[in-house]
Amino acid sequence: MSLFGAISISASGMDAQRIRAELITENLANADTTRTPQGGPYRRKDAVFGSAPVGSSFAQTLSELAAGPASGVSVSRITVDESDPERRYLPGHPDADAQGYVAFPKISPAEEMVDLMSASRGYQANVAAISSVKDMIARSIDLFR
Amino acid sequence: MDTVSWVWPQPCNHVGMSLDRVGLELGSFLSYLTHRQEVIASNIANADTPGYRTLDVAPHSAFSSVFQQASVRADEAPGLTTRNDGNNVSMDREARLLSENTLKFNLATQMLRGELRNIRSAIDEGRAS
Repeated sequence: MSLFGAISISASGMDAQRIRAELITENLANADTTRTPQGGPYRRKDAVFGSAPVGSSFAQTLSELAAGPASGVSVSRITVDESDPERRYLPGHPDADAQGYVAFPKISPAEEMVDLMSASRGYQANVAAISSVKDMIARSIDLFR
Repeated sequence: MDTVSWVWPQPCNHVGMSLDRVGLELGSFLSYLTHRQEVIASNIANADTPGYRTLDVAPHSAFSSVFQQASVRADEAPGLTTRNDGNNVSMDREARLLSENTLKFNLATQMLRGELRNIRSAIDEGRAS
């Protein structure tokens, strides 16, 4: 139960949103990638968030037990889209199959941009929370003056 | 000559307490606000976590030491709409609570500074410092 605990929680939120934004930019960059080391076209990735306690020190764990379930967030897993790829008729393409179709990643740029905005807004909200906690800590330090 | 059993007069025992009572109550209010800030930070960090439920601490009913007990618990906040992924964090509500909490904290620290200034003034025997 301290203001620094609140900063750790917000920092975990920033971390998770940053990972999400990284995955979205990866998806956008690979929207037309037809070859991957695993074979086949690139597959869309997405982060799944889960609540997780922040910090590992004994004192922090103890104060969490006393203070209740206020928790941070972490990326619990990264899902890979396993649905069928989009098939486009491009007979001249080196990756075209016998019928002249090429398997492209199933990525909608509009959808990715909306997700990216959501991740960026989430990041901003966590930054706002940290700056307000910083303000509170500065006020507490002012008590000594 | 009869013996007089000496008992310290009551006010003497309580001078220290009464001088600092406002400070103590403001201190417990500040720790309540600190805890609440942590819960709000948790709600904002988990705004995109599937199945996460918005938490809130019970509002302090009065400046009493009883609420110290109540402030430790964090329960689910009522009256919020749940999204399809089971999450019910409202960013507008959290933004409001965040600024509200900071303002209350500023108010309490200002009052505490005033209280400390009064005590210092008493130590200096009322001379302007």
